[in-house]
Amino acid sequence: MNEQSLEEAWWLLSRTRGAGLLLRVLVVVSPVTALMCTRFAADHSPRVVNISVIVLAVLCAAFPDGHMGLLVVLLVATQWFATVDSPTTPWSIAVAVLLTVFHSSLAAATVAPPAARWTRAMCRRWLLRPLAVMLASAATWAVIAATHRYEIASSDVLIAAALVGLAVAGMWARNGTLAARQFRQD
Amino acid sequence: MEKWRPTTSHVRALISGLLLAVVAVLARRPDLLVLATPLICVSVWAATLRPTQSPVVHQSIGHRTVREGEATTWHTSIEDPEGLVDDAVVVLEPPTYMDTQPIDGQVAVSLRDDGHAPLDVVVRSTRWGCRRVGPAHVVASSAWAGFRWECEDFADSLTLVTLPMSSRFDASAPPVRSPGLVGVNRSPRPGSGTEFATIRPFQAGDRLRRIHWPQSIRTGTIHVTSTWAEHDRHVVLLVDALEEVGDSDGIGGRASSLDVSMRAAGAIAEHFIGCGDRVGLVVLGARGAQRLPAAAGYRHLRRLLETMAAVQPAHATLDDGRMPRGLGDGALVLMLSPLVSPGALQRAMTIADHGLQVIAIDCLPIDIAQQEPDEPFVGIAWRIELLKRDRDIRQAREAGIAVVAWSGPGSLDVVLRDLHRHAGVRAGRRQ
Repeated sequence: MNEQSLEEAWWLLSRTRGAGLLLRVLVVVSPVTALMCTRFAADHSPRVVNISVIVLAVLCAAFPDGHMGLLVVLLVATQWFATVDSPTTPWSIAVAVLLTVFHSSLAAATVAPPAARWTRAMCRRWLLRPLAVMLASAATWAVIAATHRYEIASSDVLIAAALVGLAVAGMWARNGTLAARQFRQD
Repeated sequence: MEKWRPTTSHVRALISGLLLAVVAVLARRPDLLVLATPLICVSVWAATLRPTQSPVVHQSIGHRTVREGEATTWHTSIEDPEGLVDDAVVVLEPPTYMDTQPIDGQVAVSLRDDGHAPLDVVVRSTRWGCRRVGPAHVVASSAWAGFRWECEDFADSLTLVTLPMSSRFDASAPPVRSPGLVGVNRSPRPGSGTEFATIRPFQAGDRLRRIHWPQSIRTGTIHVTSTWAEHDRHVVLLVDALEEVGDSDGIGGRASSLDVSMRAAGAIAEHFIGCGDRVGLVVLGARGAQRLPAAAGYRHLRRLLETMAAVQPAHATLDDGRMPRGLGDGALVLMLSPLVSPGALQRAMTIADHGLQVIAIDCLPIDIAQQEPDEPFVGIAWRIELLKRDRDIRQAREAGIAVVAWSGPGSLDVVLRDLHRHAGVRAGRRQ
């Protein structure tokens, strides 16, 4: 939760217009739609999670610079993990796309104050980059769908290699995020 | 020191992407990798394009002095040494009586594509006075809003002086004959000048080039041409800022008594300086009595307006009605006041008792009793107060003080004409 008071957040929301308004609408709509896609893929969904995600999404729209967005992403992913059984269902692309929309909208909403007018270049860039990431998700799904029949997920060696790779990637990301900051403080 | 800090967006993408990928691997659920892919892509993208050097911000304002209702521009330029800044935002919080364009003073641009020009914020001042503007809050974001830099060490705020917008004013009345004046006004006192007065016999000290030879030959004694002395009229604007009555919404809205006084004083000063007269200023306000000696010329007009812009009303100050010093001899004193306190009219009478011509200009807003329609008792109180004020003004008029309500062009015509007539009689008596 950030330091904004509810009153200040409401005042900022009341002044939101243009791109800022659209982004906040997307912040609320995209996780809700992701839940609907999960329901279509699994035929059921726990009501508690749905309500929690909706409430958190609304709070995200009010406080885009807070950490509630992380909770929303994790809740949507957890529900997917818990309810969907088919690893190659194309609904995963839809949910990935909607998570991309949610994350991009939330990130874009923190870039400028709600009343600021966005330039055309800003709109273009914030449209094209998420599209590229969505294509990456589709490519991942295509690879998974193509290799599913070989059951490579059961290979222990591959699992170990993937974990090592993730650990390295995590270290790199940590350094990329924090190490330079420590260097600058020196 | 300013730093590039990771944002909550970057933390979200990083943690959720890694977590989903780890779960996908451990639980052997490749579909979770599809969900993790965009988040991992975003975090890698943002970390790769992380800037390390701080941008350099320059802030300035187009004009330091404007008139009421005029606008100037707050310039902000951001130098990005690495070219990794994606979005830049400038937020200029306007002080009171300032409008900004765009509204709220918020501008967002794509620094690489849009450049610096769209970062300008137009600042429009709606009321006279000296106000601090800026500095603007500048925020830069890297790719995917992954890292943010906030400008903390920027230039100091700047003072924007807003001169009062002079009301429309002119005076068709003939000029008052005061003991000395220059420009369009003829002095009643003979002396060195260019305006012909009469031909008189030569006296010791007369200049030889003044000898009028035809008259001297006709009469057999030396005669000289005499002229009227050249002096300028000395006008003193006495602004009563001891109290401010009514609310001010800036130009185009409701005007307080001090708004009316300042705009009227500006208009009168502009008129008399345009006529070539000397105009001085005495302001009774929060900083005591501020004086500007009388002088002529448009540069002096600018000084007058800047002094007016710096006036601060002195609320709850006891008005003793004493005559301020430094009004000068033979000055025409134009006292601008809401005339609410009896001390103001008392001051006018004191000034008149010292032999100066004084005109009290009533600057009370005409809608003062209706300014608070939701408070009926305030309206009633004002009506009672106005009745008392009318009685005081009537008594002042009976005592010989000219009191006129400020109403723009021609406000002072009648009273200036009367003063001219009386001064002419006095001058005739002297001659």
